[in-house]
Formats: sequence, structure tokens, C-alpha cells
Amino acid sequence: MLNVSNVLNSGLIAELEVGQHFYWHLGNFKIHGQVFMASWIVIAALLIASILATRNVQRVPSGMQNFMEYALEFLRDLTRTQIGEKEYRAWVPFVGTLFLFIFVSNWGGALIPWKLVELPSGELAAPTNDINTTVALALLTSVAYFYAGLSRKGLGYFADYAQPTPIMVPFKIIEDFTKPLSLSFRLFGNILADELVVAVLVFLVPLIVPIPLMILGLFTSAIQALIFATLAASYIGEAMEDHHGGEHE
Amino acid sequence: MNVELMTHFWSGTGIGLTPLLAHGDGFGLNTNILETNLFNLVIVIGLLVYFGRGFLGKLLGTRRENIAAAIREAEERQGIAKKALAEQQTKLAQAQQEAERIRANAVQAAEKVKAEILAKSEQDVQRMREDASRDLAAEQERVVAQLRQRAVAQAITQVESRLSGGLNEDQQRQSVDRGLALVGGDQK
Repeated sequence: MLNVSNVLNSGLIAELEVGQHFYWHLGNFKIHGQVFMASWIVIAALLIASILATRNVQRVPSGMQNFMEYALEFLRDLTRTQIGEKEYRAWVPFVGTLFLFIFVSNWGGALIPWKLVELPSGELAAPTNDINTTVALALLTSVAYFYAGLSRKGLGYFADYAQPTPIMVPFKIIEDFTKPLSLSFRLFGNILADELVVAVLVFLVPLIVPIPLMILGLFTSAIQALIFATLAASYIGEAMEDHHGGEHE
Repeated sequence: MNVELMTHFWSGTGIGLTPLLAHGDGFGLNTNILETNLFNLVIVIGLLVYFGRGFLGKLLGTRRENIAAAIREAEERQGIAKKALAEQQTKLAQAQQEAERIRANAVQAAEKVKAEILAKSEQDVQRMREDASRDLAAEQERVVAQLRQRAVAQAITQVESRLSGGLNEDQQRQSVDRGLALVGGDQK
């Protein structure tokens, strides 16, 4: 529990709270309701954007359709550069979903005045500033790249762990754990740190001063979404890569 | 990876700027502009819209124009191709017509030549037949004349031989007269 107000002496109007959650009880699980609500809003925003973009499809795209087509083109290029011309098509939806969800979450967290809404406990914020969200995304990525490798090479996928030398086997196995770990912590840490810094600055100097940091935060958020999607695509591409016998490819 | 454990450990970081006094039990609306960071957010969103609109507008406009140009170009090419196709089709039709005409001409010419040849051969046959019959008649005439000549010569020979067998002047004369009368009457 970090309590900035204690550090900065009390008598202030607000305190910086960490670890407050709006718990929902679902069977034996305690789930973070504020994350769910924010996620739903992000999902709704994406759905509405998709529907608006595809509702009245024109031959020469304009407005929303043009924008979404641009986004799709961007994601397709990203996936293609990571996975390769031959296999990338099937993975565009997955990588695209990761990018769009993370990007809209991050920017939503940074731009929407969530604090207007008071919850009984906790705060609405970007869904990606909760470790559960990022771990879920990272584990999905793990599942995806295992699936990609296994469906491409069968159990021979694990034989590739010994490439180029058997010494690599333990490292490759460790890598399978560190990949989701690093993915989830990187995203979570960046977004949380950004929100924390902005919150602290707002707490100290409420006006004007946080603005550069907020803009920096927008930049970081976009970069983080890009990094997550790129790495996920890269892992998938790596899993499908041919290691033995370099003649085909 | 124990997510549950991590959840407990890290969930502690969900951050909030919670008003001390407004620790309500239910949902509510925080109207404090400083606490909600509304002022800065409005500025940031304004900046984003101001700069983003220009940038994104230019980007999307270029994209739109590129697509429109590509479509226009493709349509133009399609039009040209269609025109060329129509042109070639008319040319093909013309060529077919020409071919048909040439064929008809050829058939006609062949028909004419055939008729000519037939007529000519008919004529030839006719001519040859005439020639043959003429030849036959001439030969016949010749043979008849020859036969007659020979018969005359024989008769003369016989008569001479008989004459030399003792005839007197009168008899000779009579017989010559008779013969002359006979030959002359025969020859007329």
C-alpha cells in the first residue's frame, strides 16, 4: 500500500491509492469489476468502429471505412513482416485483435476521464493496467505460438528445441516461460507506471504540468501496443520457422 | 505460472486517485475538475484532435486519392481494353465476311470453270466424232474408187487378152464400140 498523502503530509484533498479494487464475486472467484467494465467499453468501442466502418462499404473508401482499412493495412503489414508472406494471413486477426485491444485500452485509459465515475471501491482505468489482463493476453500469445508450431511441425516442433545445438534445450524451455512473463510485465508495467506518474503529478500540480507527461504517455501506450503485437507475431513466426534443413523455405 | 499468486501480489498496484471525503458506497459522479484531471485531459484531447486531425486527414486523404486513382486507372484500362475488344471483334466480323465472300467467289469461279470445261470437252467430243465420221467416209470413197479402178483394169486386161485371141476388124470395132458405149454409159 503506497500512500503518497502520508509522504506529502496530510490535510490534502486526495490520496493516491494503490490496490483498491471493485470486487465482484463470481462463484469462488473474486474478479476486478472495474477492469471488466473498462474492457467492455473498449470492446464496445471497437465493435462500434467496426460496424460503422463496414456498414456502408464504398468502392472508394471514405471516413471511417478509410480509417479502418488503413488500420487493417497497417496490421497486415506488421504481421507479414514478422510471420512471412506464406503463413501470415491466418494470423492477422489474432495479432490485429491484440494490437487494437491494447491500443484502444491504453489510449482510452489515457484520454477518457474515467475518474468522473466513482465506484464503490477502486477506480476505472485502462484494462491493461491490471496484471490479469496482460497475463491473459500473454498466455493467449503463448497458446497461439505453441499451436502455430505444433500444427505446422507436429511434435517435431519440440525437436527444434535442440537446434542448433542440444545445449539450447534448457534455454528454449526457459524461454517458453519468460516470453509470456516479459510480455505481460512489460505492458502492465509501462501502462501502470505512466498512469502512476500522471496521477502523482496531477496530485502535486493539478494544472498544465502533467500535460507533457500525458502526451508522453500516449506515445508510450501506442508503442507498447505495437511492441506487444509485434512480439506476439514474431513468436508465432519463430515457432513456424523451419530450423532443420535450411534448403526449403 | 501462478496467476492467482501474481494477482494477489500485483493487483496491489491498481491505482486510483480516490477522494478522501467521497469514499461512498455506491456509484457516483465526481465533479471535482482538479481531481478528475479534466482540465488537462481536455487540453490533451484538444491538442490530439488539433494535430491528429491534420495528420490523419492528410494521411487518409492521400490513401483515398491513391485508391481512387488506382480505380480510375483500372477503369480506364478496362475501357481501353473494351474498346480494343470491340474493334477487334468488328475486324473479325469483317474478316469473316471477307472470307465468306472470297469463298463464294471461289465457288462461283469453280462452277464457271467446270461448266466451261464441260462445254469444251463436249465440243471436243463432238468435233472428234465428226472428224472420225468424215475420215470414215473419205476412206470408204477412196476404197470404192480403188476397187472400181481395179475392176476396170481387170476388165480391160481380160478384154485385151480376149481381143488378142483373134478378132477381125469388124468384131474388134464392134466390141470396142460396145465397150466404149458401156464404159461411156457407165461413166457418163
